[in-house]
Amino acid sequence: MNSVGEACTELKREYDQCFNRWFAEKFLKGESAGDPCGQLFKRYQLCVQKAIKEKDIPIEGLEFMGPSKGKTESSS
Amino acid sequence: HPWETVTTAAMQKYPNPMNPSVVGVDVLQRHVDAGGKLHSHRLLSTEWGIPAIVKSLIGTCRTKTYIQEHSVVDPVEKTMELKSSNISFTNLVSVDERLVYKPHPQEPDKTVLTQEAIISVKGVSLSSYLEGLMANTISSNAKKGREALEWVINRLNAEIEEFAASARGTMRNPMAAAAFVEK
Repeated sequence: MNSVGEACTELKREYDQCFNRWFAEKFLKGESAGDPCGQLFKRYQLCVQKAIKEKDIPIEGLEFMGPSKGKTESSS
Repeated sequence: HPWETVTTAAMQKYPNPMNPSVVGVDVLQRHVDAGGKLHSHRLLSTEWGIPAIVKSLIGTCRTKTYIQEHSVVDPVEKTMELKSSNISFTNLVSVDERLVYKPHPQEPDKTVLTQEAIISVKGVSLSSYLEGLMANTISSNAKKGREALEWVINRLNAEIEEFAASARGTMRNPMAAAAFVEK
């Protein structure tokens, strides 16, 4: 499955593999502590955010990368 | 299928042959809340053949529609809830969907899915034909959705079997081969 940003597809695949394994083997069995995919996610996220800005996709009400409230930039 | 299987498959639903119009999936945000529930915000990109009549109303050549999906998985209560709504450059027709997966109350090896969709048409008063078309599409999509998960579950099972078979292959034992075929 591709990413919305073509350049992000490989990063996405790596993250997805990590997440799917953690989800089925740990999270669903009740061991949600510790997320081994944090680093992969951050790298993938940076790429996706850039792609969304470039494509001007209107995403509403989301805080990227954790709690960073009050950072709404009304650009252009 | 048991709830865990369905939930795992739902997280990996795309790509699948029943939803060929979904061309991209991205995770925008994901976290486990204080109650231990996993929240995921995802962006789905779809390309579907927009009929010419709609194109002439919309007056745009952009054919990608984006869907924003928020899912919550509670591993203790065993519920998975998905809410999605489409975002597009036109905002003419919006479809909000809500799906909830829970274990079947009487048969624990099965999962119950409740699904609802709200179609809103704003601005231009589109003909009831188009609304009817969307309603039919949504109910046939609901059936496709179940088929899609069935497909993903089979694929995941096949991957597991393949992995187990290759692990056993190193033993070269006719007993193991017979056990695998017998299933």
